[in-house]
Amino acid sequence: MTRYRPYTNRAWLGVTPVLLIVAFSAVIPLMTVVNYSVQDILDFNTRFFVGFEWYRETLADPQLQDAFARQVLFSATILAIEVPLGIAIARGIPRASRVTPLILVLLAVPLLIPWNVVGTIWQLFARPDIGLLGVSINALGISYNYTAEPLHAWLTLLAMDIWHWTSLVALLAFAGLVAIPPAYYHAAAIDGASSWQVLRHIELPRLHHVLTIAVLLRLMDSFMIYTEPFVLTGGGPGNSTTLLSQHLATKAVGQFDLGPAAAFSVIYFLFILLFCWLFYASVVNSAEEGHE
Amino acid sequence: MASIELKDISFCYPGSATPVIEALDLEVERGEAHALLGASGSGKTTLLSLLSGLLRPTGGAIVFDGNEVTDLSPRERHVAQVFQFPVLYERMSVIENITFAIREQSAQIDARVQHIVEALGLGKISALRPGQLSLYQKQICAVAKALANPEVSLILLDEPLTSVEPAAKARLREVLTAAQNEFATTMIYVTHDQTEALTFAQRVSVITEQGILQTAPPDEIYNQPAHEYVGYFVGSPGMNFVTREGERVGFRPEWCHLHATSGIAVEVTTCRFEGTRAGRAHGLVELSSASGPLFYRGPIDAVKTGTQTRLGIDRGLRYRDARMVGVL
Repeated sequence: MTRYRPYTNRAWLGVTPVLLIVAFSAVIPLMTVVNYSVQDILDFNTRFFVGFEWYRETLADPQLQDAFARQVLFSATILAIEVPLGIAIARGIPRASRVTPLILVLLAVPLLIPWNVVGTIWQLFARPDIGLLGVSINALGISYNYTAEPLHAWLTLLAMDIWHWTSLVALLAFAGLVAIPPAYYHAAAIDGASSWQVLRHIELPRLHHVLTIAVLLRLMDSFMIYTEPFVLTGGGPGNSTTLLSQHLATKAVGQFDLGPAAAFSVIYFLFILLFCWLFYASVVNSAEEGHE
Repeated sequence: MASIELKDISFCYPGSATPVIEALDLEVERGEAHALLGASGSGKTTLLSLLSGLLRPTGGAIVFDGNEVTDLSPRERHVAQVFQFPVLYERMSVIENITFAIREQSAQIDARVQHIVEALGLGKISALRPGQLSLYQKQICAVAKALANPEVSLILLDEPLTSVEPAAKARLREVLTAAQNEFATTMIYVTHDQTEALTFAQRVSVITEQGILQTAPPDEIYNQPAHEYVGYFVGSPGMNFVTREGERVGFRPEWCHLHATSGIAVEVTTCRFEGTRAGRAHGLVELSSASGPLFYRGPIDAVKTGTQTRLGIDRGLRYRDARMVGVL
């Protein structure tokens, strides 16, 4: 005999571990940062409430504005290169061949290298005195020195990021391409569609979702990039490769300006959230229009 | 004049030792609706890919309207294909899909497209995108796309009813038959479903791993199966076979009667009612005999399960080495 059991709220207990983990890993640290950002902290016992003073100061900081501009330029450039390049690579990978797994593993190799090692590899690789890349470029008669020339440093940074992350886009795009039923390609062949038409009318519409994820991941990651440029150039020469996170670290750890650094962190966090939301909303909107 | 000729075609997938298709010959007349009927694994889809040019035969020649096309690309062969599930370009409207493969523009072609759109009842949805259509509408759109291109001289249909919901299957079949009648385009229809093959096609080829066993009009396929397999595969249930004087005798369930004075000793296993004809209950009766299960279809008012009786053959076909050699 079964007894009727009314609904209870006991199931909420099951959510407790998740709530605790999220609280300790995200909410409490974030609140601490928010708390710091509105106070002037001299030592443990001496602190003053300053309101939005640090925010005002941070936003007015020309160094931060420059770092922000560099950051936007950096993220936009690597996205503009990595996404088309990743799709092109994915289209070039044979779908069902004996070498396909080998190609995929080789592609994944840069993704498996720790970020500071990537920085070190490129730091050595690009050195004009002993690095293979640096020496080779100079041997071609092109003067190249990334430690002294801001433009060279910038290009080296872009090359490093493209080397490191294009594989991710390529692998995601390949996963999307493999999911396209062969009949679509057969139909395109019978219709006499060109390779460009196949890309435009069959592949891109069906890659829409994986590409959204790829762009979001690359956008967030590139906005938070720290280790690699820190190892490669340390933000120099001058401030020419100082991106947002590096600027923040200099403030918080180098100068120990906790208040302004905390205010900056909050702004930084909101920026990333805003960028991702804007991007996601625009993608979802265009997808909905596509179905109207 | 034959529109499509396959001469001594063989095909073997690279890296595989056993050919999928070996020494196959087939002729399809211009404007004919031809069905390739076979179980899965019989090579019928491979044959379709050979016709469309997605695969090249390892031997033999393919001739369209007297011109050899064996080495031509799919585009150069001027064929169209309707797939098992609707294959459309999702970012294009219905009308853009229909006209996508048409390379020339003229008032005549516009009128043709317009006529096809009207004939297939796509007028109201021609501006929509495939994402907003039902599977049935999408498949109709795929059929319209195949018909619309005036260059196309052969339409290949690869089990086109598979993905459509059962209620719409009959409707789609009617649309296909009507379109075939009106436009008289040569069509090759691949299916494992005998009903689809027998109702759609003017001629049916039954294909197995051994090649094409018989090519004939539907009634001939049913009434005079040239090969034991054809008799067994077509019909539900298929032909009964018994051995008599060193020969195999095949007869359809409706070509025999129960309670015969002489004949095969059988026991009634099951009896399934199928309706009433001329006031008498008709049905399908499964019988067990010394040569295995047999089926009888006809009046069942005097049939009781578990009883012993004799089965008389009214019409039978004689088979030797699986080939038909004559009438009993």
